Amino acid sequence: MSRILILGGGSAGTILANQLGGRRDSVTLLTASMEHLFQPALLYIALTGANANVVRDERRLVLRSVKLVQERVTKVDLNQKLVEGSSGERYTYDRLVLATGVRTDPEQIPGLPAVYREFGNYHSGIALAQRLWSALRNFDGGTIALGQSTPICVCPPSPVEGILLLDRLLRRRGLRHRTRLVLFTPYPRAYPAQGINSVIEPLLKERGIEVMTFFDLDRIDTETKVIHSIEGDEITYDLPIIIPPFFGPDINFEPSEVADPSGFLLTDRETLRVKGFDSVYAIGDASSLPTSKAGVGAHLEAKVVARALRGDRAIFNGRTNCPMDLGDGRGTFVIGSYRTPVVPYRPSRLNLLMKHAMARMYWASLRGTLEPIFDLYFWLTTPERLSRRRVSKGA
Amino acid sequence: MTDAAVVTKVDSRGTACPGPITDLAMAYRRSKVGDTIEIWATDPGFKPDVQAWAAKTGNPIISLEEGPEKITAVIRVVRR
Ligand SMILES: Cc1cc2nc3c(=O)[nH]c(=O)nc-3n(C[C@H](O)[C@H](O)[C@H](O)COP(=O)(O)OP(=O)(O)OC[C@H]3O[C@@H](n4cnc5c(N)ncnc54)[C@H](O)[C@@H]3O)c2cc1C
Repeated sequence: MSRILILGGGSAGTILANQLGGRRDSVTLLTASMEHLFQPALLYIALTGANANVVRDERRLVLRSVKLVQERVTKVDLNQKLVEGSSGERYTYDRLVLATGVRTDPEQIPGLPAVYREFGNYHSGIALAQRLWSALRNFDGGTIALGQSTPICVCPPSPVEGILLLDRLLRRRGLRHRTRLVLFTPYPRAYPAQGINSVIEPLLKERGIEVMTFFDLDRIDTETKVIHSIEGDEITYDLPIIIPPFFGPDINFEPSEVADPSGFLLTDRETLRVKGFDSVYAIGDASSLPTSKAGVGAHLEAKVVARALRGDRAIFNGRTNCPMDLGDGRGTFVIGSYRTPVVPYRPSRLNLLMKHAMARMYWASLRGTLEPIFDLYFWLTTPERLSRRRVSKGA
Repeated sequence: MTDAAVVTKVDSRGTACPGPITDLAMAYRRSKVGDTIEIWATDPGFKPDVQAWAAKTGNPIISLEEGPEKITAVIRVVRR
């Protein structure tokens, strides 16, 4: 019997634990918090005032055959195969999976902690998302500047979704004509992948949203209300909505070279093994994989590692499938893979319904009972198939 | 004492979303004046992107080569 240790009970860790639980191996899941948050809901809490029930107890989400322990991991010695937690407890393993997600650190950007105290944000927990909603409720016109702190963004569609939902909110409130909406981004265009940018850019233009490209956030001066970029540009704001800088887990790794300068685990893009260690894997947002940090990726990566741990050959193909709410009752998806660049995916009402249906299926999807539906969906929407269809239609 | 100039190599081949420009932007954030960034990509859109990026940030492209297997861009960081 092999001892499998999974660190982090978010989307990736929970799906993996449930896929492995009940088999011949012993599976232990260590997680810092028993409160499992459905993160995509933060967008709607902050920008539409939604009041959904978005947290569940991890103990009710994990199969009984999995040993679930509340433990904040502080140290991982990959050479000794030893994990230490803040309780002082030590854990050993035969195979290890790191699924600890991201950590936000506003202190890295001058002015950002003060911005969050006043305005909140929609990427780090319910309390800050509610703070942003109340700042928006008190907003009476002026400039709203929305953008990311660094080029790494959890859920890359979320900045564009945020600005489009704001546009809708302000129109409904009759404030749009008095509001300048600015989306700033370190990329050359609103969405970094050109395929989907070609779908989005006309919508932003149509709705009068300004896009400031090559704007790499340097600092925020809360006295003068100016956001400065490394490139030397400035935006004066009345309400700033800033996506935090994201980092890998706050864990002391031995050897430290397994993490990149932002703390993300250096992970083989196909096998998902951590560099230099055959029995250690990283999945979900904690890895340095060159794909979107998104729940869908976390899910697919968990499935790949589940197969690998069962002894099957399994390769991750870099598939992304991020839904995007376009704020006009329609949605689109950002679909691509390592082999196929992101395809232009036509917006439709059905796509938005799919986004909301997937959200409703989230808790059940952690259990693994919906896998046949997901498998069929992912097969029907492979980027290769979608781009072939476009070519044959002459699009 | 000043930190010695660093040559950062970034392998961005095969990235689909968000794409190689993310890796360049991240390397630039971590860089300092005097450093060199060498980036490899396969995404054909990377060439115009890196040119636009260099024009905007004022950091020169020392070489930009398109080989059969990859595009290689070398950038010197002179401004940030
Ligand atoms: C506003 C917003 C909208 C989003 N929309 C979408 C969407 O529409 N579609 C989509 O696919 N994705 C979306 N995402 C992204 C998605 O939520 C994440 O990519 C996904 O949750 C990543 O899963 P993960 O398991 O890697 O990390 P997480 O789900 O963050 O889980 C990490 C877990 O590790 C635990 N942990 C952390 N540190 C330690 C430690 N030291 N020791 C032990 N445990 C630890 C945490 O407690 C947590 O349980 C969105 C995210 C946001 C913020």
